[in-house]
Amino acid sequence: MKTQDPFKYFRDAIDYELEFVEKEKSRGRKIVGIYCEYTPREIILAAGAIPVCLCGTSNSTVAAAEKILPSNLCPLIKSSFGYFITDSCPFITMSDLIVAETTCDGKKKMYEIMGQRKHVEVLELTQKSDSALSLKHWVDELRKFRKTLEREFKVKITDSDLRRAIKLMNRERALLRKAFDLGMRNPSIVTGLELALIRFRVAGFEKHLEMLEKFISDVEKRGKSRKKPGGPRILLTGCPTGSGSGKVIEIIEECGGVVVVQEACSGIKSVYELTEEKGDPIEAIARRHFHLPCSCLTPNRGRIELIAKLAEDFRPDAVIDLIWQACHTYNVESHIVGEFVKNRLKLPFLKVETDYSPSDREQLKVRISALLEIAGK
Amino acid sequence: MKKARITCGVDIGARSIDIILFDGRKIIDSIVINTGAKPRERALSAYQNLLVKNGIRKNKLLKTVSTGYGRNHFTDADEAISEIACHAAGVAYYFPDAELVIDIGGQDSKVIGMLPGGKVVDFGMNDRCAAGTGRFIEMVSDILDIKIEDISKMSFRKVSGCEINSMCAVFAESEIVGLLQNDVPVEKLLKGVFVSVAKRVVSLMGKSFSSREIIFTGGVAMINGVAEALEQETESRITVPSNPQITGALGAAILAGKR
Ligand code: SF4
Ligand code: SF4
Repeated sequence: MKTQDPFKYFRDAIDYELEFVEKEKSRGRKIVGIYCEYTPREIILAAGAIPVCLCGTSNSTVAAAEKILPSNLCPLIKSSFGYFITDSCPFITMSDLIVAETTCDGKKKMYEIMGQRKHVEVLELTQKSDSALSLKHWVDELRKFRKTLEREFKVKITDSDLRRAIKLMNRERALLRKAFDLGMRNPSIVTGLELALIRFRVAGFEKHLEMLEKFISDVEKRGKSRKKPGGPRILLTGCPTGSGSGKVIEIIEECGGVVVVQEACSGIKSVYELTEEKGDPIEAIARRHFHLPCSCLTPNRGRIELIAKLAEDFRPDAVIDLIWQACHTYNVESHIVGEFVKNRLKLPFLKVETDYSPSDREQLKVRISALLEIAGK
Repeated sequence: MKKARITCGVDIGARSIDIILFDGRKIIDSIVINTGAKPRERALSAYQNLLVKNGIRKNKLLKTVSTGYGRNHFTDADEAISEIACHAAGVAYYFPDAELVIDIGGQDSKVIGMLPGGKVVDFGMNDRCAAGTGRFIEMVSDILDIKIEDISKMSFRKVSGCEINSMCAVFAESEIVGLLQNDVPVEKLLKGVFVSVAKRVVSLMGKSFSSREIIFTGGVAMINGVAEALEQETESRITVPSNPQITGALGAAILAGKR
């Protein structure tokens, strides 16, 4: 069942990942579940373990979660928790440890409930983006985390282990970045839905990297023959999406637009900056992660700077801000983003607040096609 | 005979289907029917009947544009355009200098900011909730057991409304039942409902929308009390076109002639 078609490969990526993780687990490697881009995958890899992203991106587990969690919570949290309590995700079952961060309140409290059943290690992410003290605390958290992993997994994590892991993650991020950068082409040569395919769960998996290279070269080859301009180019920002929660990308492209770049964690944000390979590795890892412009930080100027840079490079015709219902940080921040997009970038802007269910598809279509009509003129 | 430039606009909304024949300058004929359970079939037969009635063969039409929730399912249309763009174009027909439109329909409400001539620059729409839409007013009229037609022409200018705080239509319903039990007069209650709808809609406007005159369209625009409440909340002059229900279909027909 080895396919050479990268599109097909990434559509089925979860099967390959499952096979890989099961095999490695049976050989004694540890599995670490993660839920956020702040999680230092490098330290986990340096401990010889495999980091697996457990973020829930399916509506199917939301109802189960609502038996315990309040229903007006973000669907990403509910879906993730639903998988957890129904024990329906093999990656969760295989995880020896779950690593979490103090990001948004919903997640933070969810981790406490998860902690009643499984070992959850919470890293305290300090939230003042421009404070040296905050960064210092985060560095300390990561040093402690290194020790925790050494103790839990009975390994020694050397600096050169860390450097090797940094190199591996940098290679992965650089390849993802190169793939996302394909969206800069105008006329576009790749759709937002295709680019959404390549966000896999398992980090440091060699096969993925091979196929990513193939993905990039296939898209480039295909792109040579594309001359006619596509529909309006959209920069999508806001909350992360995933397989099963790509509703808004689907609607944008059904209505004739093309998502040329996704700013969110599921898009370019998480691979925009690489980890420095010189100097103290823990400090380098801490710095890179601390620079991630998530709405949980305050102030989150980095996001505006990133959007400005992306607007320059990707030349979007409009910006859409995706807010998962009850995600307060992104929802509130949307005001700042909207003002910036409208007044400074002079681009049409639309905030879309929704959840994983398909019930509001038609309403969203009206809004999105109206935006595309404005942007297309 | 000069080559006809007749276009057709079909607005398939959640509550009604509106169809307009337009000759490039004026409305030739129009029809408004309830949407019913089979919107696609109903729209199609109403469309055909309207053409037959006016002696127009389909192949003589320059173009047909559909809009509204059912726009993508109306296969006889040459193009589907969002109701935002269509409403703006329809309003600009009557009010070429209009810059701001508030449209409150059965299921949604929208605010559209536009340039003179009808080009949309920005818009806001209500989210999933029915508060701030015609449906909410219908619910209230059911509770009060008063027909909408009976309150439509009444003026509530002198009435001070009671406070309705619920952000959700369903909770607002129980709040209203509670107010009734406390013997709050019906006029005060209705005024309160209209003001709460107006407030909802104004919250969609954001800072970027403001205008001395606002054109108010959609089925709800036929209720005087809501227009009054909007005037009070926006401090702008509210103008209701003579047939506020059909601006979407009219805009579709107009845009059909432009593309
Ligand atoms: S959006 Fe923020 S909380 Fe969510 S994965 Fe990204 S960094 Fe973590
Ligand atoms: S989308 Fe918002 S509320 Fe949901 S997990 Fe991410 S930061 Fe938290």
